[in-house]
Amino acid sequence: MKLLEHEARKIFAEHGIPVPAGSVIRSPGELATVMDTLGDRIVLKAQVEVGGRGKKGGVLVADRSNAQELASRLFSMEIGGIPVREVLAVEYLDIRHEYYLSISVDRSRKCALILFSDQGGVDIESLARDRPDALRRAAIPVLMDRVPPFMIRDLLSGAPAEIGDVINRLYSVFCRKDALLAEINPLVMTPAGLYAADAKLVIDDNALRRQGIAQNRDLTEREREAEKHGFSYVELKGDIGVIGNGAGLTMATLDLIQYYDGSAANFLDVGGGADQERVMHAVRLVAADPSVRVIVVNLLGGITRCDEVARGIIAAGVSQPVIVRLAGTNEKEGREILRSSGYQMLDSMEEAVRAAVEATR
Amino acid sequence: MIYADKDCGVIVTGATGKQGVFHISLMNSYAREVGGRGVVAGVTPGKGGQEVAGVPVFNSIREALREHDATVSVIFVPAAAAADSIMESASAGMSLAVAITEHIPVHDTMKAIAFAHLHDCAVIGPNCPGLLSPGAIKLGIMPVHLSMRGHVGVISRSGTLTYEIVDQLTRAGLGQSTIVGIGGDPVIGQTFTDVLRRFEEDDQTRAVVIIGEVGGSLEEEGAKSTDLPVAAYIAGVSAPPEKRMGHAGAIIEGGEGDARSKIERLQKMGVPVARRPSEIPRLIRELL
Repeated sequence: MKLLEHEARKIFAEHGIPVPAGSVIRSPGELATVMDTLGDRIVLKAQVEVGGRGKKGGVLVADRSNAQELASRLFSMEIGGIPVREVLAVEYLDIRHEYYLSISVDRSRKCALILFSDQGGVDIESLARDRPDALRRAAIPVLMDRVPPFMIRDLLSGAPAEIGDVINRLYSVFCRKDALLAEINPLVMTPAGLYAADAKLVIDDNALRRQGIAQNRDLTEREREAEKHGFSYVELKGDIGVIGNGAGLTMATLDLIQYYDGSAANFLDVGGGADQERVMHAVRLVAADPSVRVIVVNLLGGITRCDEVARGIIAAGVSQPVIVRLAGTNEKEGREILRSSGYQMLDSMEEAVRAAVEATR
Repeated sequence: MIYADKDCGVIVTGATGKQGVFHISLMNSYAREVGGRGVVAGVTPGKGGQEVAGVPVFNSIREALREHDATVSVIFVPAAAAADSIMESASAGMSLAVAITEHIPVHDTMKAIAFAHLHDCAVIGPNCPGLLSPGAIKLGIMPVHLSMRGHVGVISRSGTLTYEIVDQLTRAGLGQSTIVGIGGDPVIGQTFTDVLRRFEEDDQTRAVVIIGEVGGSLEEEGAKSTDLPVAAYIAGVSAPPEKRMGHAGAIIEGGEGDARSKIERLQKMGVPVARRPSEIPRLIRELL
């Protein structure tokens, strides 16, 4: 789950990383008291978890004369489809240099990877593409509690030595907070020293509970409803509802829909042990999306009981046609149950997907 | 056949849970069918002395090893304690730990794999269906009836999609040497590269199917590392960026790991890539 900037910077500050003075406001009216402590010039930053927020007008420099007006503008905005409900107001920094610093999970080396550049402030993808030599990397062996000094020297190679302390503090945030990504872009040098001028923290969804986070905010309402049933669900933009068991098979079903020029409305993986109850909930959940015109169910498993699945589909009683591919035990019974209730059961995922795409034409 | 054979003794941890009991009995019925040793002991701390699915339960792996000879563990322990079970397996001298458990926090997995590495214990998974060498041994939860003994190696980040493709191979008369589900998490023990290295030393394996998906670059790294003939299928061509597609590892991040660029890179290396799972048997036949 992605944290908002103000949440991430609070955690950074708790770990001794210097952040500019600031506070969160929820209406333009709260600005007056904030400005008394932050000074005459401030930066207003919309608190939405959308990449490239600055380019989309979500970050504005303000002074006493226009702060109120600019804050009102931010609060009336939608950035990447998300309405702005909170704005972080921070002191204006006299920036002399911008650095890039991040720690992420390196899937190949199976450990933390530190990326550092003295060319910060731009987005990391374009930096990696355009100036790969300006980006320095260090993979930290897992069982280390600090970044070894030689690695810090290699990373900095000439950049101010005090950044080494920030690297170690960010590494400790990364480890303690179950982070998949901890990023400061830019890390800025000012006459008053270093500051994390932005803060990004992504927490491992599988560690939310032990990190004291009750609800995954990255999910939509329907995705959260699905999570309660133990389904993995992702909303998409098409009109064919998809239910599969296993992430790979479900993804392959979506891809096959695209291959036949259809368009999937969702990804729903019912997970292991697809029984009557779970299948019924899955079918109802998918059917509740008004854009769904047909549903394709693709279940394959050694232990999946086809008769149970068939009863679940019928019990769901949805209005859209349901096209079924089922392979497992009691296949014959399942097929008979479905056929007698007027449902289509096909032998392969290919046939099922083609029938579903056909039904939307 | 790689990693394990008929003569390997297997210990199941998390043996007294619903999944543990169920899959001990399936693994052992397969072992009886092929004349293998199968699961010799179960482990659940605090439940030593019981018996599940005809197998004695011990409080720890070390305790089990005092009475039974085993080199492989299969882990069904819930996520909060699964990393610990991987480390216990390695510390007790297992040469292979197969972690079926889903939802282990990535930081726990990274530590457990690093720990296992120090003890020369290979980890398959987590969040995987395990391994199946048709006619020899089953470690984990793969259904056996779709498979057939033969010369095609299969490596996959998925579960059911693997069964789908194994089914298609079998129907086409292409049997399998070993099928390895390496897991759907961002950080996993044995990668495509590691498994391919084992297949290279295996006389039975003549070609390998790589079943990958969006996220990371393990598929390309594997294909690049091997001289074996390889064909691939990559799931997630239609997956939107920044959305987790069921598997914790199936996410396109920072413009990296999307299916199209993966497919392009594989094709550049000369690896044929199937656009649909059903094309795999033809591609493999052309390689043999």
